[in-house]
Amino acid sequence: MNTINTLIIDGLSFALPLFIMAIGGIYSERSGVTNLAIEGLQGFGAFVGALAATLLSGFFAASSQVPMFLAMLFAMLGGMVYSMLHAVLCVKFKADQVISGVVINILAMALTTFLTSQLNASVFGAPSNKFVLGTSVRFSVPGLSSIPVVGAFFSNIYPFELVIIAAALIAWYFLYKTPFGMHLRACGDNPHAVDAAGVEVGRVRFAAVMVSGALSGLGGICFAYSISAQFSPSIYMGYGYLAIAALIFGNWQIGPTLWACLIFGFARSAGFALTQALGLAAAFSDLFMTLPYIITLLLLIFFSKSNRAPRALGEIYDKGKR
Amino acid sequence: MKRQNWFLTLMGDSKRQKFTIPILAILLSLLAGAVVYLILGKNPITAYLSYLQGSGLVPKGNYAAKKSMLTDLMSLLNAWTPMLFASLSVAVAMRSGLFNIGVSGQMMIAGLIATATVGYSSLPAPVAKPLVVLISALVGAAVAALIGFLKYKWNINEVVSAIMINYMVRYFVSFCIKRYMADPVSRQSRAISSAARLSLMDTEIGGLKMDIPLGIILAVIAVFLVRFLFDRMELGFEFRTIGANPLAARYAGINVGRNLIVTMALSGVLAGLAGATYFLGYYGSIQPDTLIATGFDAIAVSILGNSSPIGILLSSFLITVIDKGSTYMSSTVGVRQEIGSLITGLILLFAACGAFFSYLIARSRQKAADAEAKTAGKEERV
Amino acid sequence: MANDEYIVEMRHITKRFPGIVANNDISLGIKKGEIFALLGENGAGKSTLMSMLFGMYEPDEGEIYIRGKREHISSPNHATRLNIGMVHQHFKLVSNYTIAENIILGIEPRRLAGIFPVVDIKGTNEKVAALSRQYGLEVNPAAKIEDVNVSTQQRVEILKMLYREAEILIFDEPTAVLTPQEIDFLLQIIRGLRDQGKTIILITHKLEEIKQVADRCAILNRGKLIDVLDVAATSTQTMANLMVGREVDFTVDKSPARPGGEILKVEHLTVKNADGFPVVKDVSFTIHAGEIFAIAGVSGNGQTEIADAVAGMIPAAEGSITLDGTDITRSSVRARTDLGLSYIPEDRQSVGLVLDFSLADNLALKTYYKPPFSEKGILNHAAFDSYGEKLIQEYDVRSGQGIHTVTRSMSGGNQQKAIIAREIERDSKLMIFVQPTRGLDIGAIENIHRQILAERDKGRAVLLISLELDEIMGLADTIGVIFSGEILKIAPADTMTTNEVGQYMMGVKQA
Repeated sequence: MNTINTLIIDGLSFALPLFIMAIGGIYSERSGVTNLAIEGLQGFGAFVGALAATLLSGFFAASSQVPMFLAMLFAMLGGMVYSMLHAVLCVKFKADQVISGVVINILAMALTTFLTSQLNASVFGAPSNKFVLGTSVRFSVPGLSSIPVVGAFFSNIYPFELVIIAAALIAWYFLYKTPFGMHLRACGDNPHAVDAAGVEVGRVRFAAVMVSGALSGLGGICFAYSISAQFSPSIYMGYGYLAIAALIFGNWQIGPTLWACLIFGFARSAGFALTQALGLAAAFSDLFMTLPYIITLLLLIFFSKSNRAPRALGEIYDKGKR
Repeated sequence: MKRQNWFLTLMGDSKRQKFTIPILAILLSLLAGAVVYLILGKNPITAYLSYLQGSGLVPKGNYAAKKSMLTDLMSLLNAWTPMLFASLSVAVAMRSGLFNIGVSGQMMIAGLIATATVGYSSLPAPVAKPLVVLISALVGAAVAALIGFLKYKWNINEVVSAIMINYMVRYFVSFCIKRYMADPVSRQSRAISSAARLSLMDTEIGGLKMDIPLGIILAVIAVFLVRFLFDRMELGFEFRTIGANPLAARYAGINVGRNLIVTMALSGVLAGLAGATYFLGYYGSIQPDTLIATGFDAIAVSILGNSSPIGILLSSFLITVIDKGSTYMSSTVGVRQEIGSLITGLILLFAACGAFFSYLIARSRQKAADAEAKTAGKEERV
Repeated sequence: MANDEYIVEMRHITKRFPGIVANNDISLGIKKGEIFALLGENGAGKSTLMSMLFGMYEPDEGEIYIRGKREHISSPNHATRLNIGMVHQHFKLVSNYTIAENIILGIEPRRLAGIFPVVDIKGTNEKVAALSRQYGLEVNPAAKIEDVNVSTQQRVEILKMLYREAEILIFDEPTAVLTPQEIDFLLQIIRGLRDQGKTIILITHKLEEIKQVADRCAILNRGKLIDVLDVAATSTQTMANLMVGREVDFTVDKSPARPGGEILKVEHLTVKNADGFPVVKDVSFTIHAGEIFAIAGVSGNGQTEIADAVAGMIPAAEGSITLDGTDITRSSVRARTDLGLSYIPEDRQSVGLVLDFSLADNLALKTYYKPPFSEKGILNHAAFDSYGEKLIQEYDVRSGQGIHTVTRSMSGGNQQKAIIAREIERDSKLMIFVQPTRGLDIGAIENIHRQILAERDKGRAVLLISLELDEIMGLADTIGVIFSGEILKIAPADTMTTNEVGQYMMGVKQA
């Protein structure tokens, strides 16, 4: 019973940050810009958020949760600003989008590692390669949390999970219900049609990449506040790449992508739970950690036939070309 | 009214831009790096010189006992070898239109299996060393070919499957090391036997103690083999055709599916050798809980080198110099060595803008030509 | 100081592109409520001129007046505000959106769902339905673009203009993709629009259409305005001569066919698309040596899939294909090529050529693996060069730097010449031509038609697939008409009229 609860609680707290990063990826890719940069965007966003939290925490009581929410805000801003680099490269400079993504990731890692060490040394006077954040507090919804099994979905919730759910709903609304979303999705199918309709393709794609930066940053800082309890180079665990796999698996749609993320989350927590339940050495958790990836690959074998990437994905839009 | 723009002249036509644009990217990033040094209050020239000193290209002021410029240079070559192999691996795939982002995973699994099978055995060096090379090449080929097969058979995007396999390998390697191979002190895998090691460590020559990388010979041979493959071989022509236009390749009667797997296998061989020269040459041990960055850096190095073998020879050397030299730079200049990766990152960033640079050049040429045509046209009408 | 008579006036318009002057000092005026045609060959500068009116380019020199007022039309948006609309040759539609969504794209009406403003799809559907009834352009607003046929897509483009209240409507080659019957319907719609007070500009290279609907006609040649004519008072032959700049001979010199033995035999062929949906259904036909077998049909009815299946590019789900007595149903592309099959594909740039390769490499694309090009897996670059030199001489392929030219930089006509040279030179028993003259000018078209006939006369079997009915009627010995994946009729060319073929193309006349 208890194992199942942990499984659900841990699974959710992993799946949701992944989900919000994947939604960011959906925004970018549905607009036609391949985004392999999520890994770098989430790291850079988390860096900015963690830096803000470290700088501002002095103004609040030690137990205050305000710095965490400020960190989320700054992580989104940081991710957004950094994503503009990808947008400029892909939209304005017409660079190869895959290459740009890889380079952005490498640069993010180099930049944040350097800045973290440099700032720790020069501003905080402590040579260290991380900002310690601590984990966020959790809460349970009274009443609901005591229902068997289902209650686990309402127990030990990180506050950021609510933020993510709210952000996901807003993202869904904008993508599917508003003119902006309509333009965005059209850009990924036939940018010429969008241009002919008098909407600037470059601007829509630029905005889409920025949204993806903001949401990736949010995902990154949530990981920093849950799994690692700090910002350090270990934030680059490849979750950004996992988010890409999730959105491809989810056929570039928000709903199905949620399922993909939940599968990841639960497979991951199931791995940990199994190690404990079977009383195996800690090293075995590494073996079980391969499970989410193996499952994804197997699922992809079954689903990739029916999946359709946006038609204009990765296509550089050149106005002059007819 | 003919005013030649010196910059445009210097950048040359599209053929010359293959060289001039990467050089421009490097200069721009060194410039940007210099600005960072200035902000930190350091002299960028001293800093850049210390990179060269640290990598044994320029003599240092003084050396410890049994050390010299040559020892530093050997150590540089030792680090260069895996980077060169890995970048070639990326390039072979890239020229054929495939994106091998799984080089890191292929390196690690090749290194792990070679270590487990040969590294702890008591085989004599003449048997052990070739066996290490062979096993890593085969393992790398098998894993990469699997990625090609998944794409061929089920149309699974090679980027996604390679990433999945990267992480499977990462966790699997961690498990194997922690469970079976861990050194209680370092927590990495136990050091391999010197017979199996592809670098001759701490060898005394002429009063100097140095690490002699044997792999670099193989790597340089590989550069010329890859060049021969793409320039002169039928198979290379088919790879290039698929890379440039897979539809036309099918139309020309090329078996795209088979070639896909063959390309990936070849790329995997090179990745496997990168793994062998990294884990059983340069380091002699494997670290758990991390996916090495070489495979990702190699993508960018390969782009900087225009995916051409000779270009990669140069670009991978440069990146290794920055990487290797940053330790010495840090100790002499007093800036954290992470700035090395930052400069590397900037070089790669500017290299990625290559298409934009050539677009800018083409556009300003066009503007100049248009202006000329316009004046000529007007004169005609008058 | 504009002329009040004209709703659109263009004065001394000049537009240059790298290497060419697309429009050279063109001046013309268009009256309100007329159908004004722009006639010219491919590359004469018609589309460029109208793209400037629609704000896609700005002229290098010259002025544009709309309703007597000088305008700098900077974008399609600006043109729309001036009530100018354009139906492009390649439709600009979002394939996974509904018809209504496509029509409102860029000017979406909103409604409130609770407190959230959302795009009003339901209201749009009603509005679009009303609009389509008003102009006789029946469409289902909720249908997705990818599920409707080409002529419906064209209606959507027209509705898009009308929804934006366009008064000046530009049609760029609107009939290129339609059957004769659909063309008649479209021309009727265009006349109807004029009668409701709209001004129509029709870009075309088809003389009959101009004769049928246009009031006046401007003729362009190589970027220059040749003349503006009153259509009713001018003969088709005069217009044709002015358009080409020389005397045009419409008749193809064709000797009677002397068919030999069976070369290609296709029996009960069924081909399925990626979704497993049959796009070619139980098709059977035979082509003899020295015979041109042409498949007529509206674009997207399965004709290119037949060519691809015969060439081995896509698998046959059912049925058999026999080439000169050998069953090739399951053979690889390479095996078919070696057996004697040449294929000039529909899409010369993305299938027929590797645009980033040199001309020499492209000319050897189907033979590179044989001696002398390759021996024991090692390439002989000298053989590539000498073979290339020989072909560009014989077939008059022109390019900037000879065989070392990057193919991307060559003109469309010369790219096609290169493909045809490569395919003819291989001496195959079966030649497949798919849309061999698409987008080429009249000189190049005549040349390719002569080559196709010469191949037939050399005793080769020719499979010709074309959307140009004139081309089929002029060249074919036998015609098969395809509709919705089925061949409805196969008959000797001289027993069918253009109109009959058109009927079958619509699937109307079941035999």
